[in-house]
Amino acid sequence: MSNQLAFYFDASACSGCKACMAACKDRSDLPVGVNWRKVFQYGGGGWVPDPLDPRYTLPNNIYSYAVSVACMHCENPLCADVCPASAITKQADGTVLINTDLCIGCRYCEWACPYGAPQFNEGTGQMTKCDFCVDLQAQGLNPACVDACVMRALEVGDLDELRQEHGSIDAIEPLPLANITKPALVVKPHRHSSPSGQGAGRINDPFAEEV
Amino acid sequence: MELREWALIAYSVLAQMSVGAFLILGVVHFAATRKAGMEEADRLSDRVLVAIIITLGLGMLASLFHLGSVANAPSAVTNFATSWLSREILIGVVFAVLGIVFSAMQWFKLGSFASRRVIAWITAVVGIALVYSMTQIYMLPTQPAWNNFATPITFFVTTLLLGSLAIGVALVANYAYVQKKNPDCADVQCELLRYVTRWIAVAAVVLVGIELVVIPIYVAYLVATGSAAAMASAKMMVDPYSLVFTLRLVLAFIGAGVFGVFLYQNATNPGQEKMMGYMAYGAFALVLIAEVMGRFLFYATQRGVGLM
Repeated sequence: MSNQLAFYFDASACSGCKACMAACKDRSDLPVGVNWRKVFQYGGGGWVPDPLDPRYTLPNNIYSYAVSVACMHCENPLCADVCPASAITKQADGTVLINTDLCIGCRYCEWACPYGAPQFNEGTGQMTKCDFCVDLQAQGLNPACVDACVMRALEVGDLDELRQEHGSIDAIEPLPLANITKPALVVKPHRHSSPSGQGAGRINDPFAEEV
Repeated sequence: MELREWALIAYSVLAQMSVGAFLILGVVHFAATRKAGMEEADRLSDRVLVAIIITLGLGMLASLFHLGSVANAPSAVTNFATSWLSREILIGVVFAVLGIVFSAMQWFKLGSFASRRVIAWITAVVGIALVYSMTQIYMLPTQPAWNNFATPITFFVTTLLLGSLAIGVALVANYAYVQKKNPDCADVQCELLRYVTRWIAVAAVVLVGIELVVIPIYVAYLVATGSAAAMASAKMMVDPYSLVFTLRLVLAFIGAGVFGVFLYQNATNPGQEKMMGYMAYGAFALVLIAEVMGRFLFYATQRGVGLM
């Protein structure tokens, strides 16, 4: 046991259906523009001229896969380090939470986090982010996103145990390099995914924030 | 851009201008004391000191508009152990308090000259620390457009460039006031004004030279680092902000470079005080616009790594 709660995400199983996103949005009643969990569709490849007849083209290494991303409840949470108001703190179970009694809404954590986890709520003037459904977990239930996943691509558990079970990969494209904040994440890669920083593809649905 | 972002631009530019003006005024006062004695030096600079404090106050007021939840603002100084933003706010408050104390001592001639000088030195050092803390806020490992040499260099150049030209304007305005109130002392004051203005002009030309060298190197550096986020920031200087980027450089060049040279010439020859005043105002206005545009670009072209 590492006393660090963590998410496991199976990129090889995820279908990109975004049920996790919808369940999260519903459970926490998030306004438009605030999505504590986001699903990014990452892909690459292209078309090349057909060597037999250059008037036609052939698909060349075209691939696409989805990555579901929420707060990584990092072991080294840069958001908490930089927060001037001491509003972001790491709890005993490893979860990283925002205290709305202290948050001044300066959005500095937004600049620090490479996962886009802290998000500004225009209505309250404060920062919000994934709270790991601590209320549900206290009742012995799973976070909403985990139970909503039809592909069983999400799990929650102790970081060490998840690593023993699934390996220790924590950074595939389009996730940032893990050395910045040490995310509490275990990923099972997609067969087409490259390690972070080595991908040649791009995010193909960059408008997910408008949901 | 929304009010919140403009608040950051206003605060950071005004705070840096205040620090720069305080430092430059210190040098001016020192030089003027040696040249014409303390009484004339005080007459030159005391009103300017008050203007600096008002500028800083306006800047700090603007910073509050950046917050989404102003009611919790007092908690913003609690995390000084790890947050440069907390440190910056603390240092900013200390600078403001010291500035007010020093201005009051100087205005009412409280305490000995030596004790006022000690307070002035401490205030100056805290001011430098304030600008340093502002640079550190942006040196985040997740922000390649900020986390490099250009942030400290450009922040300190802005500090000194705006500071010196603001002092130029303030001294010209102060001279007009002194001349009207007390024509007897105008000759010494005029001599001092021209002497100080020449050095301000030299400083402006040198500082804008540094700026015009560093900014292209900075953009080239962003391209050379090759990271997607840095590249995205560099591209934004071309599209959509090529006009702002170009104007920012041109206005700084005209304001500090061209006007700076004219300012020096006008300040060298007696009898051209009126033209010298216009040049000082023009240089300051152009450079202020250029620096605000530069700070706008600083925030607008920021692109973080990962999924921001």
